[in-house]
Amino acid sequence: MHFIEKTKAFLGFDIKADKYALVDDPIFGKVAKDKAPDKWVRSTCGYCGVGCGMYIGVKDGKAVYSKGDPLHPVNLGTLCPKGLSEHQMVYANSRVEKPLLRKNAQLTPSSWEETFTHTANEFKRIQAAYGKGSVAVISTGQLLTEEFYALGKFVQLGLQTSNYDGNTTLCMASAVMGYKQTFGSDGPTGCYEDFEKADVIMLIGANIADNHPILKLHIAKNESVTGKKPTIIVIDPRKSKTAQMADIFVPLKPRSDLALINGLCYIILEQGWEDETFIKERTNGYVDFKKHILANYPPQEVAQITGIEVKELYNLAKIYASADAVMSAWTMGVNQSSIGTDTVSAICNLALITGNVGREGASPMSITGQCNAMGTREFGFTSSIPGYRNYASSADRQTFADLINVPVDLIPQKRGYAYPQIIDAINRGEIKALWVVATNPLVSYPDQNALREALKKLEILVVQDAFMSDTAQIADVVFAAATWSEKEGCYTNSERRCNYAQKAVEPLGESKADLDIILAFSAYFEEKHELLFKDLKSAKDVFEEIKRVSKGQLCDYSEMSYEKMETLGGIQWPCNADTPQGTKRLYEKEMPCRTENGKANLLSVSWLPLSEMTSKTLPLMLNTGRTVEQFHTRTKTGTVGILDALAPEAWVDLHPNDAHRLLVGSGDRIALSGSRGRVEDVIVKVSQTVREGNIFVPFHYNEQLINAITLAEFDPKSFEPNYKQCAVQLHSKAVPEGIVYEEIKISGFLEGVKHYEEEVFLEETVQEAKR
Amino acid sequence: MAVQALSEHTPLADFINHKTNTGMQCGNYSIDLPVLNEGEQYRFHFDATACVGCHCCEVACNEQNANPDEIKWRRVGEMEMGAFPDTLQLFNSMSCNHCIEPACLIGCPTESYVKFDNGIVWHDDPSCIGCQYCTWNCPYEVPTFNADRGIVTKCHMCADKLELGQSPACVQACPSNAIEIEVFNVKQWLEEDMSKEGVAPHLPDVAITKPTTRYTLPKLKEGETLRVADEHLLKPAHAELPLVFMTVLTQVSLGAFLALFLGELLFALGFNLPQPNLTMALLAFIPTAIGLPLSALHLGRPIMALKAMKNWRTSWLSREAIALGAFTGLVSMVALLYYLQKTGVGLLLLEAVTLAVGIYGIYAQSMIYRIKARPSWDRSSTNKKFFGTGYVGFLLITSVLLAYNGTQGAMVLLAITLLAGMAQTFVIFEEMMFYQNLDKEDPLYYQYNRSRILLQEHFTTVKKLRVYSLAIFALALPLLALLFTASGLVGWAMISVLLATLGAFVSELSGRYLFYRTVVPLGLAGNFFAGNQRH
Repeated sequence: MHFIEKTKAFLGFDIKADKYALVDDPIFGKVAKDKAPDKWVRSTCGYCGVGCGMYIGVKDGKAVYSKGDPLHPVNLGTLCPKGLSEHQMVYANSRVEKPLLRKNAQLTPSSWEETFTHTANEFKRIQAAYGKGSVAVISTGQLLTEEFYALGKFVQLGLQTSNYDGNTTLCMASAVMGYKQTFGSDGPTGCYEDFEKADVIMLIGANIADNHPILKLHIAKNESVTGKKPTIIVIDPRKSKTAQMADIFVPLKPRSDLALINGLCYIILEQGWEDETFIKERTNGYVDFKKHILANYPPQEVAQITGIEVKELYNLAKIYASADAVMSAWTMGVNQSSIGTDTVSAICNLALITGNVGREGASPMSITGQCNAMGTREFGFTSSIPGYRNYASSADRQTFADLINVPVDLIPQKRGYAYPQIIDAINRGEIKALWVVATNPLVSYPDQNALREALKKLEILVVQDAFMSDTAQIADVVFAAATWSEKEGCYTNSERRCNYAQKAVEPLGESKADLDIILAFSAYFEEKHELLFKDLKSAKDVFEEIKRVSKGQLCDYSEMSYEKMETLGGIQWPCNADTPQGTKRLYEKEMPCRTENGKANLLSVSWLPLSEMTSKTLPLMLNTGRTVEQFHTRTKTGTVGILDALAPEAWVDLHPNDAHRLLVGSGDRIALSGSRGRVEDVIVKVSQTVREGNIFVPFHYNEQLINAITLAEFDPKSFEPNYKQCAVQLHSKAVPEGIVYEEIKISGFLEGVKHYEEEVFLEETVQEAKR
Repeated sequence: MAVQALSEHTPLADFINHKTNTGMQCGNYSIDLPVLNEGEQYRFHFDATACVGCHCCEVACNEQNANPDEIKWRRVGEMEMGAFPDTLQLFNSMSCNHCIEPACLIGCPTESYVKFDNGIVWHDDPSCIGCQYCTWNCPYEVPTFNADRGIVTKCHMCADKLELGQSPACVQACPSNAIEIEVFNVKQWLEEDMSKEGVAPHLPDVAITKPTTRYTLPKLKEGETLRVADEHLLKPAHAELPLVFMTVLTQVSLGAFLALFLGELLFALGFNLPQPNLTMALLAFIPTAIGLPLSALHLGRPIMALKAMKNWRTSWLSREAIALGAFTGLVSMVALLYYLQKTGVGLLLLEAVTLAVGIYGIYAQSMIYRIKARPSWDRSSTNKKFFGTGYVGFLLITSVLLAYNGTQGAMVLLAITLLAGMAQTFVIFEEMMFYQNLDKEDPLYYQYNRSRILLQEHFTTVKKLRVYSLAIFALALPLLALLFTASGLVGWAMISVLLATLGAFVSELSGRYLFYRTVVPLGLAGNFFAGNQRH
């Protein structure tokens, strides 16, 4: 600045009134003049699975505003703090504006042609030398459905490798598999409207206040819709923000949820509170199920496992069974578990025996984490053939091949490696090339040290991302991708609602929409491009093919169109000739399940103890999760100043008694260690939101990489990691060796039952009190 | 401005008048409010039982008003009570409470605050000079200084929008409908409801400004301790260096002038003491002449400094500016009379007037800090300290007396200096005792205790310097100078007095520095990382 201007600024001649003025916008009312948009583009939020409708304000070709769409049934004009500031991340310094190639150990901006040629040649070389399966792809839940479909088609039928999975395996896979084994197909059964209409809302392992705050809107509406306050039950080992809403908070022991739910089933069956008609008409396997539950989950046993008193279990069961409509919703607390799939089925069992499926306000509902985790489930070509088709079914393979006009033997007959199996295969040397799309394993994958060792063995790592993520930084090739607001297509939210996201601005720099990257890259595999993408030039072309592919399937898009989605504010599948406006709930009375006989399966699922228990040297239980200000690995939200200032680094929630043992207070810094790794310099937040001996650390942060400690143990059915429980020790400056809990001494044995001195003492006190 | 039409598939042309089916104020871009009857105003209602601490309101507010990230008109305070599993996480989303007796308005020297008939406390940006006195006065730390603009800004309940029937940004954005605009009767509120529904944990006494925000709170267990999320964050307050120098220098001037006046008076009464002279008058003039303009440097808009005199009716800052301005002018006239050698009764009278104006000026100056929002300032020791600093002026005049061979006068003045120095020492001692014996039951304990921690742990060295330097330069050296003077060792006496003057000046500066840095204001609980309002 010129000296005179500097002086003038110092003296305060100009208060920049214009910069801070408001101006009338004819559509949304007063807006900040400095960034008053010259057009509003209707779109959908690209963060989480709630799927909020929004308008992107565009000024001079740049996204400058995000406003909640008041007509959209999901968010009714509201947006969470991430959505409200979403336009800011589009212009972050960390955006990748040009494709990058590693040359002389440096990632160097290159032309798309050079980048694609190099990558295609490498893939071809590696596949020729080590077989088709030596190239693996890990994708995401962040792309648009059209992009997922194109990517899946290219990977499975073009690259012909089945070693393809999404990061959705780290978050939604258990819900998918649980729904599949119970209802015969994936597909969240309920809708957000159920939050408004339920008498009882049971949130289990779901911290919606931090992760899906807009769902609170529907809970807030409940009272005015039903005329009375709903009973909210929150089941969580942590007194989360969500738990503050609870009428009944159930502070169960970590990952004892399956036992709790089975225990509730026991009480309901024992008391005869079950819905006999529903069970008879709509379910399979009741006899075996009842036998299993009554034999294995008596309340005393369940109270032991869960830490919830028998009386409270009866109370919960009664509330659940006596309510007209119960909505049960869950997220990662249930899914991210080595028994996640079965826990999902257990929740469905409970809903089924009480008839809480397929009615208003009554559904077992999984809430998804990412904006389009659902899209990849439907058409991603990872765990199933697009349109919820089964690899094992020759009929499904044939239909699909016919629909898209490819030879049937090109369709894989079984699923390839899931995400953790891909990492294992890299470690074994079986997979030599990895293509990572819009995900950041270097923060999000468990047991980071093992992962990083494995990735070193790759011959080529390709990362396709809009941001210079931690993983992009170690890549050999980076495909510069466009992000939200820069591309067109649709996202499916947790309630199966397909929302249309319009393109508002041009991709930054030379970056390309992921669909365009896939289409352009496939052209380097000549005959494959011709076979797979001949008629697919735009998102709309792909969407039309998706409609054809989905026709008659549960995720039926056949009567959808972009225009209709806009008019209705998204459409919930199935949307076909019978249900042209979409379907709110699955498995209503007239809608059979996708099992052989159309009935849901009651499954005899079993609780298993944690494989990694606390011990003398690792005496605390670590729980990980998220915070409202940040999204996943912070590649986006970390660049938004106002959000980052509220949660700039990871912290550890520590019970005051444990803090006392470590001689630390809030604001002090400690280290965490487990059997797989150690994390230094984590700030302490002394809090009564965690139980003594339990700690919580958010996983978003690459500096305090908590996934260096988490356990790489996976659900055998869904391959989802057991992120939420592992044993750790804490180290403060004053107490570097960490916490040592005093063992409770055994005072004696009585008929084979251990009696602890504490209990004896308690009994004595009771006796004394009686006297 | 031509805004392009919405997509043809969008059913509505605008959303301002569209009502969502939330059935609540949230989500809507428009708001239906009843017409205000006589005695009614608008206010915020905050439902702490509905809030889930999502920070939507904060972000929406900044997006609406194009404020930079660090400026927050609305903040979410975070607190915790109780023991697991009966833990209560308590959130308080607060912007301006649009008080009935707004401390910002009362203290503002430029009358830049207006209380609208509809209750909104509006800040008039163009007239603000950026003195930031309102940021001290508000017990909720609502007004914030925007360095980019050089002025203070604050929440205005989106007054412009409200007038047109549009929703305030925070109300529109809250997914829990925890923030609403309501109409209330002022009389009813003041007489009955405020004491019950206007109070929330950790917030200051409602009696200070009579805030209008209505709270719905969860059941709070009596006697349970409240844990404030940002308690571990303790940053010293702004040093306000221009004010450190301005206050000390003007106070030194007043002290010097008092000595000069006493000399003139005693001389007039016929005591055998030297008559004050031009040098003394100049020494009384120079510090305030330097100090007063210095204060303009702390303003966001120094060019507008003179406007500070506008609100003499209610603002101590205006009164200070007027009185000390007049004092400086009058001292220069006194100096002129000495220069013209026009002494006599007229001069004595002028000096008496000047002194009175000066005393009022320093009194007004000290009253600036007697504000409820800043407990460590709001003690009578502040007034005492400000006057107490005047002994440095005595030392200045003593040096002149010694130089002009007025040893008898010097001895008298040194004796008075010693008394004054002891008084100042006593004030500091009282303060130390106060912080050593804080009462945990005191409603201001949280702030007092944090001031104590700042004093004892953050500024240990400065505090030691202050205490020891006071003993040496205000007491030991003047005593020594008295001894030297009485023994006829005028040269040694001179050296002692000059050293004492310099040392005492530094001591007072360091004391004042501590005064500014260790103040801990009342306010909302903060965020674990971002803390409370920035200062």
